[in-house]
Amino acid sequence: MRSRDIISSLFWAAMGIGICYGGYKLDLGTLHEPGGGFIFFWVGVIMIGLSLGILIRAVRVKAIKGEMKAIWAGISWKKMVSVLAALFIYAYVFTPLGFILSTIFLLIFLFKAVEPQKWSWAILGAIVSTLAAYGVFRLWLGCQLPQGLLGI
Amino acid sequence: MELLNYLEIGFSVALRPENLLYCFVGVFIGTLIGVLPGIGPVGAMSLLLPSTFKATPEAAIIMLAGIYYGAMYGGSTTSILVNIPGEAASVVTCLDGYKMARQGRAGPALGIAAFGSFIAGSLSVLGLMLLAPPLAKFALKFGPPEYFTLMVLGLTILIYLAHGSMPKALLMAAFGIVLGLIGLDTMTARPRFTFDIMELLDGVGLVPIVMGLFGVSEVLLNIEQVVRRDVFKTTIKGLLPTARDWKDSTGPIARGSVLGFFLGVLPGGGAVISSFLSYALEKRLSRHPERFGKGAIEGVAGPESANNAATGGAFIPLMTLGIPPNVVMAMLLGAFMIHGVTPGPLMMKQSPQLFWGVIVSMYIGNFMLLILNLPLIGIWVQILKVPYKILFPLILLFCLVGVYSVNNSVFDIYIMLIFGILGYLMKKFEYEGAPLVLAFVLGPMMENNLRKSLITSQGDFSIFLMRPLAAASLILAVILLVSPFIPWFSKKRAEIPKEEET
Repeated sequence: MRSRDIISSLFWAAMGIGICYGGYKLDLGTLHEPGGGFIFFWVGVIMIGLSLGILIRAVRVKAIKGEMKAIWAGISWKKMVSVLAALFIYAYVFTPLGFILSTIFLLIFLFKAVEPQKWSWAILGAIVSTLAAYGVFRLWLGCQLPQGLLGI
Repeated sequence: MELLNYLEIGFSVALRPENLLYCFVGVFIGTLIGVLPGIGPVGAMSLLLPSTFKATPEAAIIMLAGIYYGAMYGGSTTSILVNIPGEAASVVTCLDGYKMARQGRAGPALGIAAFGSFIAGSLSVLGLMLLAPPLAKFALKFGPPEYFTLMVLGLTILIYLAHGSMPKALLMAAFGIVLGLIGLDTMTARPRFTFDIMELLDGVGLVPIVMGLFGVSEVLLNIEQVVRRDVFKTTIKGLLPTARDWKDSTGPIARGSVLGFFLGVLPGGGAVISSFLSYALEKRLSRHPERFGKGAIEGVAGPESANNAATGGAFIPLMTLGIPPNVVMAMLLGAFMIHGVTPGPLMMKQSPQLFWGVIVSMYIGNFMLLILNLPLIGIWVQILKVPYKILFPLILLFCLVGVYSVNNSVFDIYIMLIFGILGYLMKKFEYEGAPLVLAFVLGPMMENNLRKSLITSQGDFSIFLMRPLAAASLILAVILLVSPFIPWFSKKRAEIPKEEET
């Protein structure tokens, strides 16, 4: 029994059921004139079939001891979650704070988060990198970056 | 004569100062990302796509193509000096390249890798130039059934060549098709799977998906495992291979070029497979196979030539049929579309400047790469020494700003982050990203051609079996799909070197 395949196949089977249902609700049409949900429905059916195939195979295979533990072994959850949280917060404050401020804060955090740098290095590195990115994307390429609090 | 006229058009386009600059930027960044593990050509191309919006279509495609073949050059440097391949296609170069470096022959190893790449890259462009026009003419006869079945076949080959479980790869392709169809129905303009989110009406963007799956997820994986990169301390001297080196390498370069070019045309990881096959071929043909793995220059020359030749071959299905054979080409297809150009059999007639300009720029790009990778090798060695703790925040920064600037949309940043987490979990649970992305790009085209075919045939599926090419493609796809159940095929499939994400 392979735990990782059982978990993932159940997830994809549920996804397939959702897609089938969504396709059915959209209108399947006919074979002469397939509707907007035609492909969704049949792709959903295929996904369910494949997931069940993976599930059956996973149940038949001999269990690997400590398999799930091995997948997550050695992971620093604190680092991982904090980096992800910082990225989502960045997206949330990107428009109200503006590109420059939000990016400087994000980079200071990232420089300190994984393998901590000196504060002076982190702050200087963050400011220089942000200004360089601003120069490339805003000034050179003319991208519209949010101005936010600083108004630039 | 006609070919010479076209070449003249190509040179007039490729030699424009603006296009030369874009070509240089492309090959430079390609080499850079080839050298740096953690971001591949797909991530880099999606990152730089917004920077091409203001450029002409020619300049944009010239730069993006440069990133692709430039990455193949750069990948060899890390293989030889650090024993870590910058690109999947350079994995096999580690075997003899690193051993050569340890024996004090890093210079000739880097030199032959660059010269071999240059020769193979140029030969494959020549092949592309000669093969593309007749194939494009032939493709004009294709209708929706042929296109639908060819796409099914392309996707099936990619799935067949995916590493690990085929059902998992198929599952990813199915999910990719669903993602590609989110948005307004092209025939009825009815929203599909948009969940009343305005931003989804235009569909999910290719760039956020690719950046998430190949950029953010890679960073997340690298955060959890700190990879040590100890650059082998040696003075790099004598980059020009000796007469003996040339004698040993001429055959491998020639064979690698031909093998790489033809395998490159096939969907899914042509560069990777050709480099492994070239290595196996050279070992088999060698009078001293025992030298392989101990610093044989043939083990560097053959695979490096093959992976570069494959890049030229990969352009053929995209430029002549409009069907991308791998994720990098899918990315390029996206770039073509953004610039209002539809690659396919008509491109050569409708946009000869673009078609021939890109081809000729690849010759010029190969020259630039030779200079970048030989006299300037020292720069890349220095870059290799940048620690990951400094690199990863910058990669993330470029992903975030790059994704935002495509549509000026924060929603795209969220999509990228979600796909970053999904990509991370996919790697943990042994699912591949490549079939998902290729199916995402092909999905809408497949649906369109399937619906057109069925409307034409009034719902009769035999239309796919009545037309020779469509029937052949479909039968081949079915054979590949059922082959894992046949022990002999299954064993052969297990022996094929696999594309380790792009």
